[in-house]
Amino acid sequence: MSFEPKILGILCNWCAYAGGDLAGVSRIQYPPNMRSVRVMCTGRVDPVFLIEAFAKGCDGIWVGG
Amino acid sequence: MSDSKKIGAVMVVGGGITGMQASLDLAELGYLVYLVENSPAIGGTMSQLDKTFPTLDCAM
Amino acid sequence: MSPKLVESGRHPNIKIIANAEVESIQGEAGNFKVTVLKRPRYVNEEVCNACGSCVEYCPEIMKDYYNENLVEQKSLHIPYPQAVPASYVIDPISCLFVQKNECRQCEQACKELKAIDLNQAEEHLEIEVGSVILSPGLDEFNARRKKDYGYGEYPNVITSIEFERILSASGPFEGQITRPSDSVHPKKIAFLQCVGSRDQSTNPYCSSVCCTYAIKEAIVAKEHEPDLDISIFYMDIRTHGKNFERFYERAKNEFGIKFIRSRLADVERSQSTEDLILNYVTDDGKHHKDEFNLLVVSVGLEPSKTAGSLAKTMGVKLNEEGFCQTHEFSPTSTTKEGVFVAGAFQSPKDIPESVVQASGSVSLAAGFLSDVRGTLVEEKELVPEIDVEGQEPRIGVFVCHCGINVAGVADVTKLKESAEKLDNVVYADESVYACSKDSQEKIKQLIEEHKLNRIVLAACTPRTHEPLFQDTIREAGLNKCLFEMANIRDQCTWVHAHEKDAATQKADDLLRMGVAKARKLVPLKEEIIQVDPKALVIGGGFAGMTAALSLANQGFECYLVEKEKELGGNLRHIKFTLNQNDSQKLLDETIERVEKNSLIKVHTQTQVKDVSGYIGNFVTAFSSEEEETKITHGVIIVATGGHEYEPTEYLHGKHGDVITQQKLGEKLASGELESSKFKDVVMIQCVGSRTEERPYCSRICCSVAIKNALKIKAQHAKSNIYILCRDIRTYGFIEKYYRSAREEGIIFIRYDLENKPNVSEENGELQVSVFESIVGEQLVIKPSLLALSSAIIPNYNKDIAQLLKIPVNEDGFFQEAHVKLRPVDFSTDGIYVCGLAHSPKNIEESLSQANAAAARAAIPLSRGHVAAEPIVSSVDTDKCFGCGICEYLCPYSSIKVVETESGEKAQTITASCKGCGICASKCPRQAISMGRFTDEHILLQINAYMEGLKNA
Ligand SMILES: Cc1cc2nc3c(=O)[nH]c(=O)nc-3n(C[C@H](O)[C@H](O)[C@H](O)COP(=O)(O)OP(=O)(O)OC[C@H]3O[C@@H](n4cnc5c(N)ncnc54)[C@H](O)[C@@H]3O)c2cc1C
Ligand code: SF4
Ligand code: SF4
Repeated sequence: MSFEPKILGILCNWCAYAGGDLAGVSRIQYPPNMRSVRVMCTGRVDPVFLIEAFAKGCDGIWVGG
Repeated sequence: MSDSKKIGAVMVVGGGITGMQASLDLAELGYLVYLVENSPAIGGTMSQLDKTFPTLDCAM
Repeated sequence: MSPKLVESGRHPNIKIIANAEVESIQGEAGNFKVTVLKRPRYVNEEVCNACGSCVEYCPEIMKDYYNENLVEQKSLHIPYPQAVPASYVIDPISCLFVQKNECRQCEQACKELKAIDLNQAEEHLEIEVGSVILSPGLDEFNARRKKDYGYGEYPNVITSIEFERILSASGPFEGQITRPSDSVHPKKIAFLQCVGSRDQSTNPYCSSVCCTYAIKEAIVAKEHEPDLDISIFYMDIRTHGKNFERFYERAKNEFGIKFIRSRLADVERSQSTEDLILNYVTDDGKHHKDEFNLLVVSVGLEPSKTAGSLAKTMGVKLNEEGFCQTHEFSPTSTTKEGVFVAGAFQSPKDIPESVVQASGSVSLAAGFLSDVRGTLVEEKELVPEIDVEGQEPRIGVFVCHCGINVAGVADVTKLKESAEKLDNVVYADESVYACSKDSQEKIKQLIEEHKLNRIVLAACTPRTHEPLFQDTIREAGLNKCLFEMANIRDQCTWVHAHEKDAATQKADDLLRMGVAKARKLVPLKEEIIQVDPKALVIGGGFAGMTAALSLANQGFECYLVEKEKELGGNLRHIKFTLNQNDSQKLLDETIERVEKNSLIKVHTQTQVKDVSGYIGNFVTAFSSEEEETKITHGVIIVATGGHEYEPTEYLHGKHGDVITQQKLGEKLASGELESSKFKDVVMIQCVGSRTEERPYCSRICCSVAIKNALKIKAQHAKSNIYILCRDIRTYGFIEKYYRSAREEGIIFIRYDLENKPNVSEENGELQVSVFESIVGEQLVIKPSLLALSSAIIPNYNKDIAQLLKIPVNEDGFFQEAHVKLRPVDFSTDGIYVCGLAHSPKNIEESLSQANAAAARAAIPLSRGHVAAEPIVSSVDTDKCFGCGICEYLCPYSSIKVVETESGEKAQTITASCKGCGICASKCPRQAISMGRFTDEHILLQINAYMEGLKNA
């Protein structure tokens, strides 16, 4: 079986998360490896979130904002 | 005309960016708004634009 | 723009009547009866939820008008993906049922929801309103009318609006730049300006926006394909808007777009390659021929095609250009009382100006109806909130099929079953359309029946649908914050349509993450902040006075603070306008109205010393020589204005015959100059503007120069006038004065930055030399008077900026919250801007903007309170040690360190906090938490995702 990275997205409600929705509206297809957490601004992201995710086995994190 | 007969509602004709902004401001100010749009959806010309000057952000 | 679409669609006080037109109007201002014809849509927009399941069943096709007919779509379609109302529509011209009573396939496809209603008929709605605002906008010029350019005949000649669709990722070719004849990517593109503008045979006016949009389209195209070779053929580049000049400079310098000032002779088509050959003449009189793969014609703006009949129905007059007739000093009033106008129907204009004018027209309508404000809208009565404090979470999960949008890809039953197994989930269900009215009712019942105290919905996106469901659960007595959504449609089934298992797995993870967060959701209170219903207007120029009057008209008290002895600011120096209207009379009348208005407290020779507080509750100290005053108020309008730049170049200040245009205007009005001074007049444009030091265009100096030149010609017909200019920027209807100036024999000579005119003095005589490109020689003039069109610069804005903590841009003008969406607001709530303090503009534009600022400021004042969404930060004062990092970092000045009993502690200003959470992430003590987006919530979501990995 090929390697399927587990990716976490922490997405800003106003841009990256909205972009994610727009990709949906436009039916742009992309690999299903990411699960996203919505935040009000990526300025809110605490490094602890990232450390925690990596520690628990996450392969990549996208902080989008 | 006596003021008591005045009606606290406004009709906005045309639902482009102008009509939407006018409707939202009026609605927030406490007036009932009827937004009449000729086409099946509001949005007007701006909804057709890709990006907008001068900031180049997405029109949508 | 999406936020405005969604808000308009959802606002309880806005009733959208789409697919409709006004049939008649009766009655009078304050009490109109309007009949509106609503055409059948054949889809019930209340029921349709835009799932799109029906489309594939529709056999008929039509042109996709939203995509400028470049592609086709089904007869049953949604105008565009984000359309509001978010409902499909059937085009009656192509529908088989409407035309031939056949088919009815769509009804079958939507038999669950029954949104298709082929029996719909025309409706005539009678509506009573106190006032009307007309905003029917624009239509693009039909380029077929300009035969010489080959549009409609040569396939590779397209319009700018078509190009706009082609560039769009959601457009007909998914953002690929291809040309119509062979779908090949063009390498060389030309833009042709002023098509259907500045042209006696079509439209004489300038469309104002096409230069800047052409630059935009060229830049965007270059961003798509950096190797593109793009040339723009033009007469004048008119980038007169705020920050537009920099945009133009970037196009030239950063993107290498070529700008060619020229007259176009004709366009030929190459039969073999379908390329286009442009024959043109440049300034130096030389003829050129060049070949391009694609030609974009920058079509001008005309009033909407229906505007003529609308004006007739409404009984308002049009001007000679076919736009709504207005007066320079009342740009949003039509010729009919109680009927107002805004946007591109008033004159060609861009989005920021349209939005400003929209709010401006609102201030008039609202002023007129202020005694009946709030009489037809009501606030909803709500059941008391259930106290869930201390209760064990009882989570209800709903998985929405969204027709086949979710259910067609993910296994929803599996999702429901796996949700049922999660801790604290006491109930789980599926729903075909969770957002439909009956599903909402059902959710309310289930909350009661199963004593649910947290709800998780797996469906579409919270960005559009969360408020709807929050209202629903609130109606059932649950606090709005006890709700969480998992986005399993927009960010899952729609984007993984061909990977059913993976999509189901992802949806399952997202749902589990949502439930994990939901367990720790707590009810939060929407904090209500009372608003002191008074305003402070800083600056007593024309904009400030207009704003104050508008607020007073709407019934609000305001303080008008002016640092000079007299009110009036710059308008005191403007003696007449280009349209020959009496600006001094306007000034006197305005001052009189202000002084007589009992709601306006004027403080002249007064300076603002200190401002504290926030929206609803500002405290301001100002002082004059005599006294120091402290006032409280709810909002602030900044109208500190600007002034003419005092030139140091071209012998200004050194030779008495070198004066600025403003001085010239005053002298022309007073008649103090002897006629010998007008023998040979030279005017130099862009003095202090569009230079390295001040890289913006001052917007009005071209019209002011022409205004003064025409006045001189009227007084001294023999006068020789030379205007040395770079581009003449007489945008919109002002173009006609540029034309008259040339007809009057005023001579325009072009110069560029590398070849600036040279002014010298010999024995007291002035001499101007400038390179004349047509003859290719240095031209020498000995003027009797030299007028400098000098820049507009903002007044001492930095002090006010510091006091109010509001931003200024690189040029010293105030920076609004958002150029297009919030053009008169600051990002700090409760503070607004208008007039020259914002950017250079003329009287008419300042007036619109001042009214706009007043309309925006009146919103919190009229509501009497502002509600802060419970996403704001809150400080744990035990942990906080008052370091102030949060205060320093907050982009909205919404958190402050204050002295408390237990020492210095941070405190959130709920009224203006936007919930961004920057403070929370940077607090060294982790003392700040964000409502609904706490660290704990986010960590729980992350852990829930990672746990899933282990089990998989
Ligand atoms: C190619 C092109 C590119 C542009 N690019 C930019 C840009 O990048 N940035 C920028 O700031 N500006 C740009 N503009 C200008 C911008 O489109 C306008 O400033 C703006 O859309 C005007 O908004 P509006 O609401 O007044 O009119 P519109 O957007 O035209 O809206 C009018 C609405 O009224 C409806 N309507 C018309 N008649 C009636 C009637 N009789 N009854 C009921 N409803 C009616 C219409 O259907 C429409 O929905 C561009 C324009 C063009 C043509
Ligand atoms: S000069 Fe005016 S009409 Fe011509 S392209 Fe520029 S903005 Fe449009
Ligand atoms: S003279 Fe003024 S309006 Fe004209 S182009 Fe120069 S700066 Fe702009």
